Amino acid sequence: MRGLRTLQLGPSRPTRAFKRLGAASLGLLLLLGTAGCGGGGSAPGDAAEQRVIVLGIDGMDHALTRQYMDQGIMPNFSRLEKEGTFNPLGTSAPPLSPVAWSNFITGLDSGGHGIFDFIHRDPETMIPYLSTTRTSPAGRTLTLGNYQLPLSGGDIELMRRGEAFWEVLERNGIESSIIRMPANFPPTGKAHRELSGMGTPDILGNYGTFSFYTSVLFAFSGQSISGGEVYEAWAEDNVVESKLYGPTNPFLIETEKVTTDFTVYLDPDEPIAKLVVGNRNDDGTIDLQEERVLAVGEWSDWVPIEFEPIPTQSLRGIARFYLRSIRPEFELYVTPFNFDPMSPDLPISHPPEYAEELARATGLFYTQGMPEDTQALREEVFTRDEFMAQAQLAGADVRQQYEYVLDQFKASSSPQRLLFYYFGNLDQTSHMMYRVLDPEHPTYDPEIDTKYASVIEDLYRQADEAVGYTLDNMEKDTTLIVMSDHGFASLRRNFSINTWLKEAGYLTVRNPNMSNDPGMFVNIDWARTRAYAVGLNGLYINLEGREPNGIVTAEERPALMQEIADKIVQVIDPATGLPAVGKAYQREKFFKDRGEIEIGPDIVIGFAKGTGGSGKSSLGAVPAEMFEDNTEQWTGDHGMDHEVVPGILLTNRPLKQAAPRLQDLAGAILAEFGIEGFPARPETAEKAQ
Amino acid sequence: MSILNAILRRLFDVALFPFRELHPLVGLTVVSLVFGVAVLLVYKATSNQEKLATVKRRIHAGIFEIRLFNDNLRAIMRAMGDILRHNANYLRLSAVPLLWMIVPLTLVIAQLQFHYGYQGLAPGDQVLVKVELAEDWTEGARPKFALEVPSGLAIEAGPVWIPSLHEVNWRISAVEWGDYELTLTTPDGPLTKSVRVSDDVVRRSTHRLAPGFVNQLLYPAEDPLPASSPVQSIILSYPAGNAGITGWESEWTWMLVFFILSVVVAFALRKPLNVTI
Repeated sequence: MRGLRTLQLGPSRPTRAFKRLGAASLGLLLLLGTAGCGGGGSAPGDAAEQRVIVLGIDGMDHALTRQYMDQGIMPNFSRLEKEGTFNPLGTSAPPLSPVAWSNFITGLDSGGHGIFDFIHRDPETMIPYLSTTRTSPAGRTLTLGNYQLPLSGGDIELMRRGEAFWEVLERNGIESSIIRMPANFPPTGKAHRELSGMGTPDILGNYGTFSFYTSVLFAFSGQSISGGEVYEAWAEDNVVESKLYGPTNPFLIETEKVTTDFTVYLDPDEPIAKLVVGNRNDDGTIDLQEERVLAVGEWSDWVPIEFEPIPTQSLRGIARFYLRSIRPEFELYVTPFNFDPMSPDLPISHPPEYAEELARATGLFYTQGMPEDTQALREEVFTRDEFMAQAQLAGADVRQQYEYVLDQFKASSSPQRLLFYYFGNLDQTSHMMYRVLDPEHPTYDPEIDTKYASVIEDLYRQADEAVGYTLDNMEKDTTLIVMSDHGFASLRRNFSINTWLKEAGYLTVRNPNMSNDPGMFVNIDWARTRAYAVGLNGLYINLEGREPNGIVTAEERPALMQEIADKIVQVIDPATGLPAVGKAYQREKFFKDRGEIEIGPDIVIGFAKGTGGSGKSSLGAVPAEMFEDNTEQWTGDHGMDHEVVPGILLTNRPLKQAAPRLQDLAGAILAEFGIEGFPARPETAEKAQ
Repeated sequence: MSILNAILRRLFDVALFPFRELHPLVGLTVVSLVFGVAVLLVYKATSNQEKLATVKRRIHAGIFEIRLFNDNLRAIMRAMGDILRHNANYLRLSAVPLLWMIVPLTLVIAQLQFHYGYQGLAPGDQVLVKVELAEDWTEGARPKFALEVPSGLAIEAGPVWIPSLHEVNWRISAVEWGDYELTLTTPDGPLTKSVRVSDDVVRRSTHRLAPGFVNQLLYPAEDPLPASSPVQSIILSYPAGNAGITGWESEWTWMLVFFILSVVVAFALRKPLNVTI
């Protein structure tokens, strides 16, 4: 039956003709399929029909939603509330997306699923790493001159532990489609259909690395560009020749990026150009891959890019080009190289061909987990208008795909089924545009921000439209659940935990005069440091036997943790006169689940509303200032105490099992299908004290 | 050549018309069947069937000799020599019908390529229109060209004038299903180029080229441009592909299918049609 459904729904415009053949044979296959199932399978109607749709809207804030509902801006939400329920949904601690979504997926807290932050540190090497996924290169290689040939494949591992709720559904014969679920890369392979979401890297292996080509010499000289690479490129006789830089060539011993040439032909008179992707030959000809005409200020469609590390081997990606300017300066932005869903080099869907099916149905799409290029705006490669345009492109991909996925869900013949679909646009855009809601924000400029005053409201309106579309198109008697992983708040001040630890005598630096600490703990004197911070909310004890240069004994640890927890909540921000930290959670006291608790920080810091962790401190630096105004474009955040940024839970009917917290929601969803007792915790699990 | 192409275009358009709304495999199977039979008949008519049969018998005899005397090295070597000699003779005899067929085969392939080698445009699709000028076009002089499109198409961007390539480009989009003609207005008069927004199996012309035997042989899907025009080509970049014959998107996939089916048909019918090949 699975193959039958794929045949019915898979082909799209490129293979419309195939669809005609498929349609002709579909009747026969249906007959055969029905006959085949008739003997031993259950007849339709044997199982009680139950359909559940869960819309996950990242970052939808409860208070703001309430406000917009009261203002009549979100009529579909209001309609749902009248029929069902609308409540705040308690989020994770810390309320960071990978943590929160892992709570939702597994029904466990961080102690159980092992995701405590975006960033963890390896206690053996003290190197920070991304928490949700671990990649390892090929184990053995054969060296031939300058080349190395891998003799075994590399590996990519999802680090989230615990059982995903859809595994239980599938085990009970309930069909589940899990689309763009965060913290689910690579996909578990346990749902009927899966497309990985937040946490899916670009083809370079990062969360997203853009390329910016500019003729402005030294435009970013001396600056560290985060999330992107800047390349000089200038026109000679109205022709710009440069390269697209792919991942490191895995076949070369020396570290060298694999590249593909591109050429931009500038119109000598008009603000328009032709982009040609393809390697240039010695005779001036080009091995054409793709060509596009772009006016200045225009975005290209998705352009397939092929990198050839060695002949016969290729890495495929897709990118969109934004021609920012051609005169007086040449400026071209290229999105991160996403996996080509028609032929992804890493598993981004289950079954593997599902990504291709989606691409055929609705076109190529962003496969990277967080497609909105917040870094390009933070680094001022984008203006706010350009960021909004790019974010809208990314959001459009997701909304367009949702219509197809919802149709597919409706067309399924399975009597019991679940669809989860994720929208990340509201979260990412809120991070960058939240100051428009906060005239007290240090960067608020009424002259600029009034222009964008309705941006956040528009995002919520779009979410409401998605709910309205669902209500109009879903089958009767479907349970609709709209939820978010956390809320949002204005981020006015940054607090450096490491600097406070230093001032309070828990951390000692090697060089007190270091002006620009690069992070990675380079300035920490481990022999005289009892506690340190890394990650957005994590505080660790420099524990003997765990950290390589630990000095705190296991016996001293509980008292030290209590002491730090007591002191840090008393820190007052001198600029506001308000506490910087709402609560400090000691892991053994706070987390109920214990299977993976050793991975996590000893203390989770819950910042007060309006305050966030310093970016430098989160990467292991000890900046000079303990407090700073947040002057970045990143003006909205949720990495605060979990009690001040709840998410939302909206349903079209009261759920059979209450879900006051995100962590309870998966159990409540399973209860809709009559499945109790999720998550299954080992009998030996320790209880919270 | 252009008259011949015009006749062939009409012939293939009419012949494939009944299959235009069916899966490409259907029309291609019928074409392959007809082609396989035609090849057999041409082969029969233009080859020396008696001599071919004799040569094949001698080759078989040589193979039989090797199997019979497999313990006699001299006999084996002599038989292998005979087989090689008869094989050369077989190739010589086969070359005659192949020479007869090479011209019609080329014409047929060229026609079929533009029915099965490219995907159609659909409303919403965007595509490049490239106009190439003669090499002796005055360097740097911007051509005073304008592109006009009917209401089923829209110009999205352009023109881009690229002096170093003697090239002007536009990006157009398909708005509605239909068959259209672009009009390129030049100082020497208007030039047209067909655009088909259709997912049917129809003739799609990627190139309209200046007159010339090779140009017309390889790109017969549209009449040549006027010889006096400085425009050397008008190219419309239909997406390469085969309209989903195997799911493998290549403009040449159909040809593989066509050859395999034709060969299968030819071998299957050689005895009923009494043809020695």
